[in-house]
Amino acid sequence: MQNSAKSKPLPTRRQIIKGLGAAGLGLGLSALPFPALKARASRPIRFLNTETGRDTLAFFKRIAREYQDRAGVEVIVDSVPLSEGFTKITNGIRSGAPYDVASVGFIGQVLLLAEAGHIVPVNALTDPHPWGNNILFPIDNQVFWYPFDYNLSVIYYRKDIYEEKGLALPSTWDEFVANSEASAEGRRRGSLFPIGSNGATNWMSFAFMWAEGVRLFDDDWNVILDNGEMAPRAAAYLDMMARLYQTMPPGALQASYADVLSNMVAGSLTHGPYAGRVVEAAHRDNPDIAAELDIMPYMDSAGKQTAVSHGYDGWIVLNTDMVGPTMEFMQWLTNDRMIDFLHTTPIHFQPARLDIYDNDRWRDHALIRKYGHVLERNRQFITDDSVILTSIDTQGPHADVRPGKVFESFVLPEMLQNKILRGVDSGEAVAQAAARMREVIA
Amino acid sequence: MTHWLLPGFLSIGALATLILIVGPALYAISLSFYEQQSLTSDPVWVGLANYARVLASDEFWNALWNGFVYAMAAIVLQVVLGIGFALLLQQPFRGRALLRGLAFLPYLLPTVVAVLTFKWMIDGSLGIVTIVLDTLGLPPIYWFETESAAMVSVILVSVWLWTPFVTTTFLAGLQTVPVQLYEAARVDGAGPVRRFFHVTLPALRPILIVIILLRGVWMFNKFDIIWLTTGGGPLGATEHLPVLAYRQAFTLFDLGSGAAIATLSFLALLVIVTLYFWLFPMDDKQ
Repeated sequence: MQNSAKSKPLPTRRQIIKGLGAAGLGLGLSALPFPALKARASRPIRFLNTETGRDTLAFFKRIAREYQDRAGVEVIVDSVPLSEGFTKITNGIRSGAPYDVASVGFIGQVLLLAEAGHIVPVNALTDPHPWGNNILFPIDNQVFWYPFDYNLSVIYYRKDIYEEKGLALPSTWDEFVANSEASAEGRRRGSLFPIGSNGATNWMSFAFMWAEGVRLFDDDWNVILDNGEMAPRAAAYLDMMARLYQTMPPGALQASYADVLSNMVAGSLTHGPYAGRVVEAAHRDNPDIAAELDIMPYMDSAGKQTAVSHGYDGWIVLNTDMVGPTMEFMQWLTNDRMIDFLHTTPIHFQPARLDIYDNDRWRDHALIRKYGHVLERNRQFITDDSVILTSIDTQGPHADVRPGKVFESFVLPEMLQNKILRGVDSGEAVAQAAARMREVIA
Repeated sequence: MTHWLLPGFLSIGALATLILIVGPALYAISLSFYEQQSLTSDPVWVGLANYARVLASDEFWNALWNGFVYAMAAIVLQVVLGIGFALLLQQPFRGRALLRGLAFLPYLLPTVVAVLTFKWMIDGSLGIVTIVLDTLGLPPIYWFETESAAMVSVILVSVWLWTPFVTTTFLAGLQTVPVQLYEAARVDGAGPVRRFFHVTLPALRPILIVIILLRGVWMFNKFDIIWLTTGGGPLGATEHLPVLAYRQAFTLFDLGSGAAIATLSFLALLVIVTLYFWLFPMDDKQ
């Protein structure tokens, strides 16, 4: 008895069950005063983000907290690299636990999801705003994604080297190759355009060909790369790239985004393709180089036409039981927090919405003030109809999965490698690529 | 109680194997009989059509050949160098313990760290190797720039990373060879080379068989080194079956073909391992 008086007896099984029952009842009753909230968001909004910059991740963490405080809806943000995004989205769908909103970087993936009914139109988000060229990719007037940026691949060049060597901005391929040759000095090379079978080559190395007027498909999705009109242009492009290759450092056949970026930032190149990230990286790691960077579009052989390589990112809203709350969240994100989001990567996130360029708060960012000329030039590229704005995955009469297949199968990088690595005749390399394209899209 | 202990533990292991290995493997094999052109589309039964298409493609045979070349060259170099280093580290000398520890270091590095470090070292503009060569007035090396150079480069990276495993395993085995055998051989007039071939190698035969088997299976299935260094390029020169299967399934989203390639790779390996055990049985009686 004395012992039991000193130490508390353990609760009995009956007491534990009663306690749990009371707790459950309490929780249930506590939810009664908030039926509207319960109806609006029965579970958290699941957001798949593929922008993994430090500031962008911090942004999403902050706004998730903010939205929960504001609307009482939890937002769970998962972040993965862009290359893993689509697999993650589809795994979610197939497992019965889809994300409610996700970012994507290929329009072909958006189309696949739209055709299968996995995503919903977002016209309510996009219709109120003006947009740059070739970015919404509507299907029957329905827009299935909210593009938040362009990532155009343009040619960055060093103003100081141009000045030192007395070079003029090139308007033809011959002039560009000549400038690349003339600007090489010591360990510094004239240019680096990736040639390997990877996304960097697909994105960075073919805009010369687009500027020359090459198209991959006709209006009926027939491959026309090897027809009488396109084949000589594509072959001429290969000949030019073979000459340009001589001005590149070793490693072009395996060069990735990181290789081009690091070489530009380190100052070991005069010319290199990229989007705004190169300016941000140079500003952080080598400000002297950053101050000397400017951009130009890709040019054709005759100096008559220019092009930039299309690149973009956007958000999709998945067809889940949370469409309503998700659209409300997206309204808030794209209206109230868009500028904050774009400021997380201020030069690389080239706004797709044209009204943002006139937004004082957006313009007031330190990097945008300092490197505004890059953004302004890019703005011209997305609004000037005379500049060809295309890429492998956006070729064809309208958005479709077929150019996406050509992109993913690396047919065109292999065409380049056949020319440069194996010395295959340019015409033959073009013919082989066209045949392979037909296989891929069959 | 003890009657239940052994079957109890065995059943836990068997259950884990079934759920984590056998189940997913069977599911992957089942995928090879379906056509699924995107990760969101419904699979359609096509029987052996994926196998027929894969076996008719040049890419498959090129990848199979590349896999053999890569695995064989890497194994031979790893085993020869590994045994050589083990014999050196077996000799008594000052600082031996430290060197034994250092020799194991590359094996401890995560593959992604080792490969990225290697790539940065040989970067055509900024790599330390490139800069040293340039300082010495030598031309740069085009490590991955031709088809054969790319294959040699991925083999070299693999040898650098995995030779320590062979060295350490062989070194452990060397400790078990009775010293009396060497003394007897020496008395009979055998030199170092004959002692190696007639004492060391026969004594370590079981270890050698296991090392070659393990390294062979691992190298044939090794995905990360090739994917991180060349991605299978240039022009498929370093693309072996695991990379081809991954590319089909996860970049071209052709799950059926990817699964068929993976299944064929598994079957090829099964044949090789069976043949290997038939040629080099581990049972002493044989």
